[in-house]
Amino acid sequence: MPFLEEALAGVVLVAVALIALVALRPSLTAARGGRILAFLAFLVLPLLATGMGLSAHMEQSKTTEFCLSCHVMEPYGRSLQVDDAAWLPAQHYQNNRIPRDKACFTCHTDYTMFGDAKAKLRGLRHVYVNYLGEIPTKIELYEPYNNRECLHCHAGARTFEESDLHKEMRVDLGSNATSCLECHDAAHNVHELEGKPSWKETRP
Amino acid sequence: MEADPRLSRRLRFAGLLLGLGLLIEAATLFWPHPTAFLVFLLLGGLLVAAGVLVYLFAIVGPINRPRSFPGK
Repeated sequence: MPFLEEALAGVVLVAVALIALVALRPSLTAARGGRILAFLAFLVLPLLATGMGLSAHMEQSKTTEFCLSCHVMEPYGRSLQVDDAAWLPAQHYQNNRIPRDKACFTCHTDYTMFGDAKAKLRGLRHVYVNYLGEIPTKIELYEPYNNRECLHCHAGARTFEESDLHKEMRVDLGSNATSCLECHDAAHNVHELEGKPSWKETRP
Repeated sequence: MEADPRLSRRLRFAGLLLGLGLLIEAATLFWPHPTAFLVFLLLGGLLVAAGVLVYLFAIVGPINRPRSFPGK
């Protein structure tokens, strides 16, 4: 959301200033105006700031930087840079088919923080395991990858819909009876990254 | 008019909790990491909640109890 963080900074600054004013001059609360000011400073603005902060954190959790901030995700970040046309995530990332700053969220829309309450609880468990538990050697999705994550972009696209193969199985793809990954099976494949060359991003 | 000293103390305490809580919440936004969200919620959020409760207690709690004087 644009300007959310700037607006939040403004609310926090105003709240802290008003809190300081009332806390240092509590005699202000003797007057009606002072009591209204105290109500704004001590209740309304802090709760507003907390709500805005929650929203800002939810937006931040959609960023690629957030996902890759945990060490265990480092190979997944590298899989975006692999110089190999067969690697799905790399192809999408390097050709701007997905926004680079929200690469992970674009294809994993229902994972941990982004998903329902159950997904969010799983996310908390991930943080716990990351610091206090034993990180599994192989990380897997909890459920098979849903074709919805592909179709929310590819459905309706000409190259997708006019492909003869896709036409044959269009209904099955839409219902998840056939997974997109049955044919497009090079996802992150982090255990095969060893020795793979990396693409060096160039900008004009 | 001078404020009741107990009200002043409670408002200052509430102000301290709220100020700290808000600053912690703002600081966590500069750290894109799941732990930052937990610090936001569990430290910042709790301090803000505590500050709000102390403020509410300050305005509705008993501060105008009549004092007894020796000999009366």
